[in-house]
Amino acid sequence: MANTKVDAIIVGSGAGGGVVAKELAVAGLSVVLFERGGWARYSEHRDDELTAQRSFPLHCYFGPDNERYRRVAVDHDGNERIVLPNDWAYHNNAACVGSGTVCYGGMAWRFMEEDFKMKTVYGSVEGSTLDDWPISYHDLEPYYEKAEWEIGVAGNDSLNPFAPPRKRPHPMPAFEHNKEGRILENAAREIGYHPFSIPMLRNSIPYGDRPECIHVRNCVGFVCPVGAKNGTHNTVIPTAIRSGNCELRTDCQVTEILINDRGRVTGVSYFDQNDQKKEQHARIVILAASATETPRLMLNSASRFFPDGIGNRNDWVGRNLQGHAYCGADGLFDKDIYDDVGPGASVAVSDFAHNNPGVIGGAVLCNEFIRLPYAFTGAHPPNTPSWGKEHKKNQRTYFHRTASLRGPVQEMPNFESRVEVSQNVRDHWGVPVAKISGFKLDEDIRTAHFIADKAEKWMEAAGAVKIWRNIPDTGVSGSQHQSGTCRMGNDPKTSVTDKYGRVHDIDNLFIADGSLHVTNGAFNPVLTIMALGYWVSDYIIKEWEHGNRFGG
Amino acid sequence: MSTGDVSRRDFLKLSAIWAGSAWIVGFTTASSSNHREPYRTLTDEEAAIIDALADQIIPPDEYPGGKDAGVTHFVDQQLGGYLKGFASEYKTCLPALNNDAESRFGKPFIHLDEREQYSYLSELESGQFDNTSWGPYRPSSFFNIVRHHCMMGFYGSPVHGGNKEYISYQMLGLSVVQEPKRPGAP
Ligand SMILES: Cc1cc2nc3c(=O)[nH]c(=O)nc-3n(C[C@H](O)[C@H](O)[C@H](O)COP(=O)(O)OP(=O)(O)OC[C@H]3O[C@@H](n4cnc5c(N)ncnc54)[C@H](O)[C@@H]3O)c2cc1C
Repeated sequence: MANTKVDAIIVGSGAGGGVVAKELAVAGLSVVLFERGGWARYSEHRDDELTAQRSFPLHCYFGPDNERYRRVAVDHDGNERIVLPNDWAYHNNAACVGSGTVCYGGMAWRFMEEDFKMKTVYGSVEGSTLDDWPISYHDLEPYYEKAEWEIGVAGNDSLNPFAPPRKRPHPMPAFEHNKEGRILENAAREIGYHPFSIPMLRNSIPYGDRPECIHVRNCVGFVCPVGAKNGTHNTVIPTAIRSGNCELRTDCQVTEILINDRGRVTGVSYFDQNDQKKEQHARIVILAASATETPRLMLNSASRFFPDGIGNRNDWVGRNLQGHAYCGADGLFDKDIYDDVGPGASVAVSDFAHNNPGVIGGAVLCNEFIRLPYAFTGAHPPNTPSWGKEHKKNQRTYFHRTASLRGPVQEMPNFESRVEVSQNVRDHWGVPVAKISGFKLDEDIRTAHFIADKAEKWMEAAGAVKIWRNIPDTGVSGSQHQSGTCRMGNDPKTSVTDKYGRVHDIDNLFIADGSLHVTNGAFNPVLTIMALGYWVSDYIIKEWEHGNRFGG
Repeated sequence: MSTGDVSRRDFLKLSAIWAGSAWIVGFTTASSSNHREPYRTLTDEEAAIIDALADQIIPPDEYPGGKDAGVTHFVDQQLGGYLKGFASEYKTCLPALNNDAESRFGKPFIHLDEREQYSYLSELESGQFDNTSWGPYRPSSFFNIVRHHCMMGFYGSPVHGGNKEYISYQMLGLSVVQEPKRPGAP
């Protein structure tokens, strides 16, 4: 039986897609929300570090699976290699209802005002497609607020002099620091940094009918055992479903965006949970499949109107892939600083996110989430044994005496870091897979050293007896913080969508995920992606209320 | 790791299983006298080599070593599961690793004493044997893979066959069941 046509299709139920589903469904549009994965459950995964979404040496519990999915990774010399989802070169985020928002650490950053106008603030950068966003922080501010209140963020900006202006406080009080956090907080103050508690998509008090955080060790990479971590899977998606207007179709792989002979999008084709090929028609299609899968889907949707992939007249789809050039410093202490109060990350400074002399951009600096026992085996100081008696001895002492500071350095986007589709490798459904290639610019590494200096100074002040820095390699970024591949802009020649996420030249095709980012900020991206979900939805709903049926 | 702690009956049973292999004579594993699950992907010879490797990579001290923590069972289970892509590398490299020790120490790896095993593995790790190759595999990279897998088997979740009774968590002083906590509270 053919599917009935609906008002809107959303592809992907992650950070952006979950928000759009709720907004449109509650506004009265009939919605089908497609998700290639299923529901992730604590009872199924529990506390298994080896399949958690952080180091996943065996496989990724939150998907995608190694059986049906693959990608092609291209190295510096142009050599291609087939990679599976639990290989770092796959650049995975997740594939389940809620995607990364189920298993993330939940840092809930608003980008700063400068993050939206990087070119105006810093000028052009050689080799980079650095540009301003077509919208400002102030355009997005109300939508950040909505994300904070509807999904739930604990935080308090009063200790962060660099926080962008806000109209309403966070809905929940900020988290307190654990033992390590307190040591680092004091040290930061001593050297004139401005430490504060990281805003978190986690309940510091009961909120949204769910209990407060119980501070387990296994937080980032895991499902929360009590549901105190807030993602789209336990907030907006359930609201969308309860509205009666949203049908969530899990285990459905969307493979093509359909277009008619007048150049309008009519729906999508997909494989259902039994691998049956089907079509779903709609007035509007919103892509929220992530910064790697959204461009793949577009490039795999070629037609007479768009021979090189839908929305790709100017070859910008899939370009400017970026993540963050993570860097920082680790420190070993001569006393125990570990009190097993999770999730670990809680203290940050925004002092070096911008306005750094001689540096373009910068990064927030935070202490790290608890490194779990297996991951910690690779986190010992340099020049110490990696196996044997001493490694084992160090493992049990250092586990209680090591801290780590990390900063997501804002990368300078470049046109050659990109997602393409492979000519010869296909997935389980016979669809060409994403091929990922590119590099970081020297500028990113220079900034990483600048930030690592600041982290080392902080570690020193905290009393670490041995300090070692962490600088990223020059390979392309993406993974958990993937973004930028369908940037929004005012000029259709140098962007993929307009400022409302509408794909240029197509009235009824939208994007609402990390792909839209022009630049990825000096912060983790998810709250910005959620805010963009509200922003794009708001435009669609206003048009809808004015009678625009998007040609369908 | 000596025949001494195996009953004659066990030894006969094991010999019968091992008949046909050239390099197994006279070794066994301590656990063979305990009741243990049969291996699924490893032969007993291969398992014995991994036992020895696991005890070098995570040696017994006040706490059990890799072998007693079930690392070999982890590898056995995973080579038929998530790590099946490594199965042929193990099948090729384990006997090669064991036999190549002869040229250096006059005995297969599993018959070396602890100190000799350690120096042999250090040499392997540093690439000193990389002028030979084990089938298509490089000795130093195989060692590196085994090292990673032993760490997973020792420090990962018991559901995958290793870390018996969460022994490594006990060693690290970590509770297995995570009680609700509060920052600031002792
Ligand atoms: C372990 C971990 C920790 C993290 N910690 C943080 C943090 O602390 N702070 C922060 O800001 N960010 C964090 N992130 C990143 C955050 O999760 C992402 O930025 C965010 O989820 C990206 O949102 P998105 O909407 O662009 O894509 P996603 O959330 O990835 O959503 C895309 C969805 O589309 C689905 N999909 C893809 N293709 C198809 C298709 N063809 N058909 C159907 N469905 C499809 C996918 O399965 C997925 O569910 C973390 C991520 C991970 C994995």
